[in-house]
Amino acid sequence: MSVVGSFRDSTAYKVVDRYKKLIIAFLLIGFLFVLGEIVVETFLTVGQILLTIKLASFIALFGLCQMVVIASGGSGLDLSVGYTATITAVFTAAIMDGQNANLWMAILVAIGLGIAIGLMNGVLTAYFKLPPLVVTLAMANILQGVINVYTAGKNITGRPSPVLQIIAAKSSGMFPNILFILLIITPIVMIIMYKTKWGLKLFGSGSNETAAYLSGVNVKMVRCTAFIISGTLASLLGLLLLGNMGIAFKDMGSNYVMPSIAAAVVGGVSLTGGDGNYLGVILGAIFLQTLTNLLVALGWGDAGKWTGFGIVLFVLLILYVSNRRKR
Amino acid sequence: MNNNSVLKRLVSNPDFSRLLILILMFTLTAVLQRNFFAMKSIVRNINSFTPLILLTMGQAVVILSGGLDLSVGTALSLMTCVLTSVMKEGVPITGFFALAVAFAVAMAIGAVNGFGIGYLRIPPVIVTFATSFIWLGIALFLRPTPGGETVDWFQAFYKIRNIETAPAFLKAFGEIIPPALILVLLGCVLWWVISRTKTGRYIYAVGSNSQSAYETGINTAWVQMRACMINSVFILLAALFFVGQNRSGDARMGDPLTLKAIAAAVVGGIALTGGRGSVYFALIGALIFSFVSKIIFFANIPNAFQTLFGGVIVIVAIAGSQVYTLSSRRAMEESKLT
Repeated sequence: MSVVGSFRDSTAYKVVDRYKKLIIAFLLIGFLFVLGEIVVETFLTVGQILLTIKLASFIALFGLCQMVVIASGGSGLDLSVGYTATITAVFTAAIMDGQNANLWMAILVAIGLGIAIGLMNGVLTAYFKLPPLVVTLAMANILQGVINVYTAGKNITGRPSPVLQIIAAKSSGMFPNILFILLIITPIVMIIMYKTKWGLKLFGSGSNETAAYLSGVNVKMVRCTAFIISGTLASLLGLLLLGNMGIAFKDMGSNYVMPSIAAAVVGGVSLTGGDGNYLGVILGAIFLQTLTNLLVALGWGDAGKWTGFGIVLFVLLILYVSNRRKR
Repeated sequence: MNNNSVLKRLVSNPDFSRLLILILMFTLTAVLQRNFFAMKSIVRNINSFTPLILLTMGQAVVILSGGLDLSVGTALSLMTCVLTSVMKEGVPITGFFALAVAFAVAMAIGAVNGFGIGYLRIPPVIVTFATSFIWLGIALFLRPTPGGETVDWFQAFYKIRNIETAPAFLKAFGEIIPPALILVLLGCVLWWVISRTKTGRYIYAVGSNSQSAYETGINTAWVQMRACMINSVFILLAALFFVGQNRSGDARMGDPLTLKAIAAAVVGGIALTGGRGSVYFALIGALIFSFVSKIIFFANIPNAFQTLFGGVIVIVAIAGSQVYTLSSRRAMEESKLT
């Protein structure tokens, strides 16, 4: 007993315990790569890994939107990120029209749209106390409707500016440029979330609403802001998606919603709020992308992908979120 | 007590005003739709309202038990895919096999959702969000593109007249009372029976206060699981109707119905916090929702606007009900005080 006790007090145990979920995510990725290498030949090549990381970067960036909203608590989740990105891509494609000079205008429009959408989500969930999933799902429907109206009877025109294409689609040497965006954003996010007052308020509102309120945090405002950040990020991601794909189309972003949430859960973000590590979300995104690659290599396509994602999410919910009654 | 206060109470009673709204919407639709009272358009209206009514009633049961099901739409799609995969055209007996298999699948769906919500106590929205993708994936395995075979008699769930071999009296009966109406009545009877058993009362108890229900010895997890299974039966009824109508399965057809069913339940006065509301009023909510969609349709709004208005209606309906419920409760409390 004392041996176990002393082990529990050791620093090594504390480190392992603290980064338990990160380690699990890491092991899962390794497991998938080994499995892939056994089942499908030429699965574990440098090119394949870099491609995986490039595609995973988009999931990880969408995962950031989810993480901010989830961390603010109130069982928040943002299901409208996909269509927020899509609507920005559709509108800004026409604005940019393949010219670098119009990029600033496009970014302004993207930020404006993101703030507006996030504000609506935030007000409805934080101030009207409506369930976030229902509100953001309805918001996704509304945005999809706006896109349908906008594109009714005409084609989506315009192309992204060349700069955007270089950032989102091209590589420098062997490394995809989007990876550098992720590398710049990650430390910024970590600093804002863990070293600033606002980060403290965010996690505080998530982990204990009452305590945060009593210590003078405007919880509603924090949650509303979280949604605004999520909307703005998703909107800017629409620009990157547009740069990556080269054209805008009707549901270009909707396939990222489910992976973004799954990435957050795989990465160990507590769905009740107040906890989360962005590195975990990135690992989660890489895991999901590797899983997709494996399933596609096996020829299971979309059906396999969604079943796999669903089962992974379900199993991890059981492991991480389950709150069984003690008997 | 004077007349004034009786009137005031009546107006501030949410159920009464819901009936008023229903009558208003009904009248508006009747005015706008030509031949509203003709047999043909009545049948057509019933047919177009039925799936949402069934799904809303099922969703209402889950919400009453303190859950929420985001997998309704894909579960419906999966059931249509299962039905059309088991059936072989021209072999009538396979229809019964399909019914049995689909029922088993429905129970499994309810059990998995209920297991997550009840036994594991994962937040309902998130667990059903996860399972919705499992159902979607399996449905896509079965039917990558819409299609499939059905037996002839399956049209009995949509239009008996379409079955050539059906006896004449059945065809005549189907013209007067459409099968869709029978499905809805079946759903009502099902809930009427359940609401008179222990299960029905336990669902309310668990939904309004899970902890104290647990402490009085109710097996809350099992109750929530049963609620999910009851929901599955309602979804199955809707799936039968869809397969009868379209004679095919489609892995993507149910997606838009998830949100509508939740919104319609809220319009019908089901509190999303659980334990408050009535499944029959959820039916009325679904009717109001359907009539509103119908009115928008008659207002000559282009097709492209349909999705947009669908989303706006949901937000307005949910936000409106929330504000209305809160304010009317406050009014009730104030009238009690004075």
